[in-house]
Amino acid sequence: MHRRTSLPVPTEHASRRGFLVRIIQATYAVIGATLAFVVGGAVVAPSFGRRETMWLHAGDVTALEEGLPLPFTLRVARPDGPSEVVDRKVIYLVKNGNEVRALDSTCTHLGCRTRFNPETKLIECPCHGGVYDVNGNVVSGPPPAPLRPLGTRVENGQVMVQV
Amino acid sequence: MRNLLDWLDSRTSYRNLVRHLLDEQLPSGTSWLFTTGSIVTLLIGCQFVTGLGLTMYYVPSPKLAFDSVRFIMDGLPLGWMLRGLHYWGASFLVVATVVHMLRVFFLGSYKAPRELTWLSGLSMLLVILGFSLSGYLLPWDQKAYWATTVTINIAQGTPLVGGALANILRGGADLGALTLGRWFSAHVFLLPALLVVLIVSHIALMRKHGISGPIEPASGPAVLFFPWHVMKDTVMMAVVFASLITAAALFPAHLDEIANPTDANYIPRPEWYFLSLFQMLKYFPGPLEPVATMIIPGVAIGFLAMLPFLDRADGRHPLRRPRRMFTAVMFALGIGVAGLTGLGLADRPPNKDRNDWGLLPIAGMQIATSEDNTCAHCHVSGGPAAPLSFTRITKDNEWLLSHMADPMVIAPGVRGPHEDPPPVMSRFSAQAAVAYLKRVHAGDPVPTNVTATVKLAALTYAETCVKCHRISGEGGTLGPDLTAVGRRRPEAEIHAFIEDPESLMGEPSVMPAFGKLLKPEQIDALAKYLASRK
Repeated sequence: MHRRTSLPVPTEHASRRGFLVRIIQATYAVIGATLAFVVGGAVVAPSFGRRETMWLHAGDVTALEEGLPLPFTLRVARPDGPSEVVDRKVIYLVKNGNEVRALDSTCTHLGCRTRFNPETKLIECPCHGGVYDVNGNVVSGPPPAPLRPLGTRVENGQVMVQV
Repeated sequence: MRNLLDWLDSRTSYRNLVRHLLDEQLPSGTSWLFTTGSIVTLLIGCQFVTGLGLTMYYVPSPKLAFDSVRFIMDGLPLGWMLRGLHYWGASFLVVATVVHMLRVFFLGSYKAPRELTWLSGLSMLLVILGFSLSGYLLPWDQKAYWATTVTINIAQGTPLVGGALANILRGGADLGALTLGRWFSAHVFLLPALLVVLIVSHIALMRKHGISGPIEPASGPAVLFFPWHVMKDTVMMAVVFASLITAAALFPAHLDEIANPTDANYIPRPEWYFLSLFQMLKYFPGPLEPVATMIIPGVAIGFLAMLPFLDRADGRHPLRRPRRMFTAVMFALGIGVAGLTGLGLADRPPNKDRNDWGLLPIAGMQIATSEDNTCAHCHVSGGPAAPLSFTRITKDNEWLLSHMADPMVIAPGVRGPHEDPPPVMSRFSAQAAVAYLKRVHAGDPVPTNVTATVKLAALTYAETCVKCHRISGEGGTLGPDLTAVGRRRPEAEIHAFIEDPESLMGEPSVMPAFGKLLKPEQIDALAKYLASRK
């Protein structure tokens, strides 16, 4: 910063000036940080909010067929910001002997909704040709991982799924 | 870093600009009085930043506006603080702007050649009042709705163009979604753009003519703006900012119940800075109304606008000739505004006590939270509707009442093909349940430890008395308001009155004798509860 020659006693002046500049900067930093904390906190917080999981009744064991992934629609109500929404989430239930497994129908590649093809007995993704077997394992195509398994338990013949 | 800045400077010469902005020479004797403008700048900055945060969540639609403000306050960490800062910032800003204007007035800083600086400042004051006015419609609570109704009706009183003006402000014949949309747009786009233009011109003009400095020029060398005067600005800004944070933390912004256009009993009151105008309306009834709404404010603003052109003689001292006259007018204006504001404050209806739930919401609480309530058939995890814990009130009263009376008709597709209709909630129960949900959604603290007597009184009230009698803002208005009936009558008298009003009054009464219609314990409970209302 260029100082004017007309100002008195340059050296003492300069140190006092430097001190004031520090205080000014510090004050603005505190005001700015306070505002950033309040506004930034409110803006960023929902981005990192955790979704609560719940156990929902998906279907009855008697409705399942051995080794066939059948689609079931779950109604998942959740708050949506200031609003509320009831999502419809499609899952597959597969019975293998006494064990029932639930698979998320969302393709692990880019999130399209997969379909079970009864002729080929494979789960297919219509978007980029991903193919999974009845247990959700990748058979071919771009998906990087098997279909996501969901927590499952059977109570009194009812299949409960964790979403 | 240094090299990078050097490179940037070589391409943009930004250091010249910074030097030009900071190395202003101020007249000797420039005092703390000249920090008022910086305070206004700080507060405008705060409003911009907090407004940015609020806009990210606010939804300008009557169905969601209220819930989105609720969500900001309850659903976001420090969201209440964010809204508090914006809410209090508005009041601080009005005060700071007026203080700045008074400073400019008393030091005669508006005199030639600074007429346009004064006018741009006055325009900014009006824009800031425009912000305040458009801002408090946005939460869509009772205050928002009714205060805006009054504002628009005032505009409607404008001679000749009133009807058209009101329609433009409302976006149609009724206050509703279209109104909210245009006021929101004005509040977040139009007015900020105007304000930025005005700020830039105001500061550019201030720099062009230099600041006016003390009334009598002081001897001594000029002072550099940075850091010597900026230090004073900074101290004042820090004090004001700390006060703003304190106000927002200690007195969180209030949110009334959701706007209810059918509520004929809400008494609207504007924010304090419009209270003087509101109060003045009371003294100019009927055809004289434009005197209070147009002529007096118009003359006052006209006087302020003309001031630098009227006051052209030399001499800046406010108490010496020839400025004495203007100072007297300004004092009269100040006393008028302050006096009317004071009268308005004294005349305010008492705030609704958020802990006083009356009886209807208590009855509703029993209905909505009881074990066998039918809401939970659908409002349940995995059900067709969201659980009550996060259901929002996005529909009007009529919808809510009909929905509770017969949920299946209102929400098509919910009833299965061979299902019998569920037990239907009576209109009275629905009314009570709606009253309860509204209290909960307004964030009023839910009462605990409600005694069995009060519960019985509440259910009885919700089935019978509510038709004619009002308690704490809910209920009919055919009969007297019972909010403070305990002050007027002892328990025994209330008891006898409910049983047989005619025998007590000795004349025919509209109110039926409930001695045969209600059970003795119901009358006992009602009389006991009502006597306790003082």
